Amino acid sequence: MKYSNKIKNIILIVVAMLLAVLFFYPIFLAIISAFKTNGEILADPMALPSSFHYQNFIDLFNQSDFVGAILNTVLLTVISLVLIIVIVPMSAYAITRWPSKLTKFTYNYFLAGLMIPFHLYMFPLFRQLRMFGLFGNLAGPIIVYVSGSVAFGTLLYCSFIKGIPLEIEEAARIDGCNPFQVFWKITFPLLGPCTGSLVILNGLGIWNDFLMPFLVLPSNRPRTITVEIASFVGQFTARWDIVFAATVISIIPAIIIFCAFQKHFVKGITVGATKG
Amino acid sequence: MEKVKKKSNIDKYTLLFIAPAFLLFTVFLVIPAASSVYYSFTSWDGINPNINFIGLDNYREIFKSVRFRNALRNTIFLTVFVSLFENAIALGLALLVDQIKWFSNFFRSAYYLPVLISGIVSGFIWMTMFNYNFGVINGLLRSIGLGNMTQDWLGNPAFALISVGIVLIWRGAGYYMIIYLASLQSVSPELLEAASIDGASAIQKFRRITLPLISGAFTISFTLSLINGLRVFDQINVMTDGGPGFATETIVYLLFNVGFREGRQGFGTAVGMVLFLMIIILNTIQQKFLRSREVEL
Repeated sequence: MKYSNKIKNIILIVVAMLLAVLFFYPIFLAIISAFKTNGEILADPMALPSSFHYQNFIDLFNQSDFVGAILNTVLLTVISLVLIIVIVPMSAYAITRWPSKLTKFTYNYFLAGLMIPFHLYMFPLFRQLRMFGLFGNLAGPIIVYVSGSVAFGTLLYCSFIKGIPLEIEEAARIDGCNPFQVFWKITFPLLGPCTGSLVILNGLGIWNDFLMPFLVLPSNRPRTITVEIASFVGQFTARWDIVFAATVISIIPAIIIFCAFQKHFVKGITVGATKG
Repeated sequence: MEKVKKKSNIDKYTLLFIAPAFLLFTVFLVIPAASSVYYSFTSWDGINPNINFIGLDNYREIFKSVRFRNALRNTIFLTVFVSLFENAIALGLALLVDQIKWFSNFFRSAYYLPVLISGIVSGFIWMTMFNYNFGVINGLLRSIGLGNMTQDWLGNPAFALISVGIVLIWRGAGYYMIIYLASLQSVSPELLEAASIDGASAIQKFRRITLPLISGAFTISFTLSLINGLRVFDQINVMTDGGPGFATETIVYLLFNVGFREGRQGFGTAVGMVLFLMIIILNTIQQKFLRSREVEL
């Protein structure tokens, strides 16, 4: 019995390994191609690089303003996340802790927003951004990312705040803290796992977003990493090596963050899927 | 007395806590979404401040347009094709990861890795893999003696949409695997053990216990993948730009093309309304399904 179990396990691992290779192969291909010359990529796309060739990265930074694109992407992601983490948990806290007609309405109002696709309202939205002077600069995408995260974020935070015992907050209130202090000093630090999930899921979404920065940011200056890569595809049709170098720069941070915060990914997806 | 004071206090704080999220959500999501109903009845070009109301003309055009019908067909094909394979593969991966005793965390991460990659980057990597002359896929076919099966995968209208679909499946399966896995791990081991003692085979256990218990996850995951399929844009943009011809022009891509390239944002918004309607229908079906299952349990 035990012996056959062991065999079953080994077979399963072999199958899993083969599938893992299949899933990882395109990423592997991108990484090795980033270190090959264009000639090598075209001659034999599957071969490993013949030497540690980093000229592609030098060309990438010399021939385009990729530094500007990286900077823009980092700014968009970080500023949006900070604002999301200041704004969203507070509304979720009020909704869960102080039930009233207003908060109940707000919860359902936000939930309804989950269904609205960005493509439906992007034309009127851009017109509105123009009217407010938010079109053509980073403030526009930031404010749209924050507004767009309210619905899902509130949902996620509400489900976590319910699990935090009231007694802890009451003690702080008796000590003379106002609700604002109670929330930021006592409750918010206990919401770490939820904040982690939200930061990672939203951060990844903003980091990888294409359509909004492509349409909202001015085309005569560097936009974001994804927008630059998309424009390289047309511009450097003959230089895949440069595009691969840019691709690797876009992938690496996502993979590092994933490895560091794996649990949060799982939690965010499961709560989001079952409650949404 | 104190109670009254406390109550008004809390109301002030309720407003203070909710206002920023409420205002942003209203101004930058609800108002543009609501005004798109109006824009869908106009011939707005996106630039001209004079907006002409043309009634139902945009919708009439949508239902008569051959191009819209083509986009609708492409969207339905791509969405159903991707969702079916995505869910079948995701369920398979979840069962595998759930069964494995060693390194299951490692495998879960490996299958999830493509989810981290942007639509643009995944589209670019696969575009090079699908390339006729220098791509890995044709290279592999040639090296195993199937050179006659090589294709211009993205340039041939018969294969372009399927090729885009493969990229979406590769990138999406890991996401739905997480949903199935969470559901599988909530199936109690005692139940399965009791069934084993009663002499149930592995297949019987799967069909009679596991499958009914994860049916909720199935409904959620399938609906999510359908809705996400309807919204695909990035991969099409980088891989085919809607072509060859109109072979990969989906509803979202049509909306982008008419709105930004042809200056017909009123018509584009009307197309967006049709997309929204499709999402509402899918959501309603999901809710019905989930509720009827709950009754059964």
